[in-house]
Amino acid sequence: MNGYGGKILRVNLTTGKIAKEPTPVEVARDFIGGRGFGAYYLFKEVPQGADPLGPLNKLIISSGPMSGLMIPGAGKCDFTTKSPLTGGYASASMGGHFTAEMKYAGLDSIILEGISSKPVYLFIDIEKIELRDASEYWGQGTIEVEKQLKEKFGEEFQIAVIGPGGENAVSYACINHDFGRQAGRGGVGAVMGIKKVKAIVIHGTNSIPVADTKTYRQAGKALYKACKDASFLAEWTRYGTTVVTSWCDEVGALPTRNFSAGSFEDGKNLYGPVMREKIVITDKGCFGCPSPCGKYSRSKKYDSYVEGPEYETIGLLGSNLGISDIEAVAQANLLADDAGIDTISAGNAIGWAMECYEKGILTREDTDGLDLHFGNIEATFELLGKISRKEGLGALLAEGVKKASQKIGKGTEKFAIHVKGMEQSGYATHNATAMLLAYMTCDVGAHHNRSWAITYDIQVGRDLVVPEKVARVIWLQNFRPMFDVLGGCRLQWVELGIDRELYITALDAITGIHRSWDDYEKVGERIWNLTRMFWVRENAGFDRSWDMPSPRFYEEAPESGATKGQITKIEDVHRLLDMYYEQRGWSNEGLPTSDRLVELNLAELVA
Amino acid sequence: MTATILTSSVLKELLDGKNEYEVEAGYSVRDTLLKLNINPELVALVIVAGVQRSKDYIIQEKDVLKVMAIIGGG
Repeated sequence: MNGYGGKILRVNLTTGKIAKEPTPVEVARDFIGGRGFGAYYLFKEVPQGADPLGPLNKLIISSGPMSGLMIPGAGKCDFTTKSPLTGGYASASMGGHFTAEMKYAGLDSIILEGISSKPVYLFIDIEKIELRDASEYWGQGTIEVEKQLKEKFGEEFQIAVIGPGGENAVSYACINHDFGRQAGRGGVGAVMGIKKVKAIVIHGTNSIPVADTKTYRQAGKALYKACKDASFLAEWTRYGTTVVTSWCDEVGALPTRNFSAGSFEDGKNLYGPVMREKIVITDKGCFGCPSPCGKYSRSKKYDSYVEGPEYETIGLLGSNLGISDIEAVAQANLLADDAGIDTISAGNAIGWAMECYEKGILTREDTDGLDLHFGNIEATFELLGKISRKEGLGALLAEGVKKASQKIGKGTEKFAIHVKGMEQSGYATHNATAMLLAYMTCDVGAHHNRSWAITYDIQVGRDLVVPEKVARVIWLQNFRPMFDVLGGCRLQWVELGIDRELYITALDAITGIHRSWDDYEKVGERIWNLTRMFWVRENAGFDRSWDMPSPRFYEEAPESGATKGQITKIEDVHRLLDMYYEQRGWSNEGLPTSDRLVELNLAELVA
Repeated sequence: MTATILTSSVLKELLDGKNEYEVEAGYSVRDTLLKLNINPELVALVIVAGVQRSKDYIIQEKDVLKVMAIIGGG
């Protein structure tokens, strides 16, 4: 098949059996690749009720038809599993160079099944595929292990690795790659850890078949030229995602002290230009990227180097904890990366614990003697380690804020900031109804990357609740994640303003199949409904209550900052859901109807 | 006394699809945006001659301002 590696690799860790099978043509037709393949194999092969940390769960790692080719940002890799954090669907996207090597090794997906009896790493060098003993690496941090494996096998080998957080099955453990890129959310690293897979080492040299080489090359060049000519290439490259920090502070979206506000009085110290001047050494990009958003930084204070922090980490491990020292945020970033835990969920968990402490719900007796006032940098560093080791209070926080707050009770559930058990990423949504809806209905929990609608809120009216806003959220949910399906990065399109039709010319030439964006959006809608059905299947009584946001966004208006006194009304929260379900063709409780499933060619799969 | 604003994405849409827009010098960026019926909160970054400026910056004659909105997030 043009545009594909052509094979699915299955690794049964219980038996040690390794087998390849052809990539099914009909799966490529209906689900394209990447996140689509992940959703398909998860729904089809992980049995109902499987323990996310048991042998029946699978970790599905997928490239897409764009991956590894001459397309800007063609380095995205999808990791899908049943989430140990939420009990529902998890899909985490990772940049870097891993997915390109998958394609060069002829692989569209790697499916990890079962549980190994001892620590192993999966070694792939084209046809040479082996499970090797990883005892010497077990217990070590991600950065040191990646360094050792690079030294052992060479720079051309790409590595995905877990840290102690994954080994200890922290519910939001991540998978690290390229010394600073992560498959971050939903606990994909915990699933890899419970399977006792410390790392995947991969290298390939195969060509990727392309239907029309001449047109593909021309289209690829046109895309790169469009990036080069983009008005804001220099600014985007200079600041990366940190360009958004000052803006979020200004409009009241910067998570501050466990999302109790959206503006931080010391936020200026965290802004992109300050970070650039104080700690950034150079820019760092993924495979084929013309606009590298990664910032490689050095903290003199802590004598350390890290890729980052990017905006989400600044928001969650900075302002959300009342920390205004960018060097401290960079150091916390490094500690979380090395431990292999998601900075977004970790920042939420620590923010929740700090609020519990300030309210007297947790005392020093509960915190292993730590003073957990907001702004305590050393306590933050200490807690990151405790979470990754599941030690003391860290063991509670390692479960995520939903479960931790259910255990502690005393009203702490009201300031556990999550949807469906996934902690909210870096946008406070007290008064941004489209963004709030995007979080409420995101297919993995409260994550921003499927539908980033906060600019639209400001453009049309922040508290407005109208069908057009809901339609915008749905369109973004169908369209934006298609980049994760195709194995590429959306940032060139979305931030540099690249004409999206240029991608169509390239994709048609690569695959030899003409699809318009309408066609791709239909695939996006199919995947969205399939993942919704996974939530329904795996959680008895799944209904609209699962889509409710944290009460903080409809009960407690911020007392300071740009959104002071502003809040979304509870009746508007329900109106948003009513409109959303209607436009999606779902029932009043948020379940896809059988007609909708038939229309999307999903009836047989979900039967 | 004029200057030029360069935009993209949502701001371009709000300026009748134009990448470049001529504006009067002597006013702040914020006031200029308001005169163009653009909510200043949409703008995340203002760059003049390679230097980041606030929305209170007074536009000078012949300035070329890059005015950037964010539509994708982190």
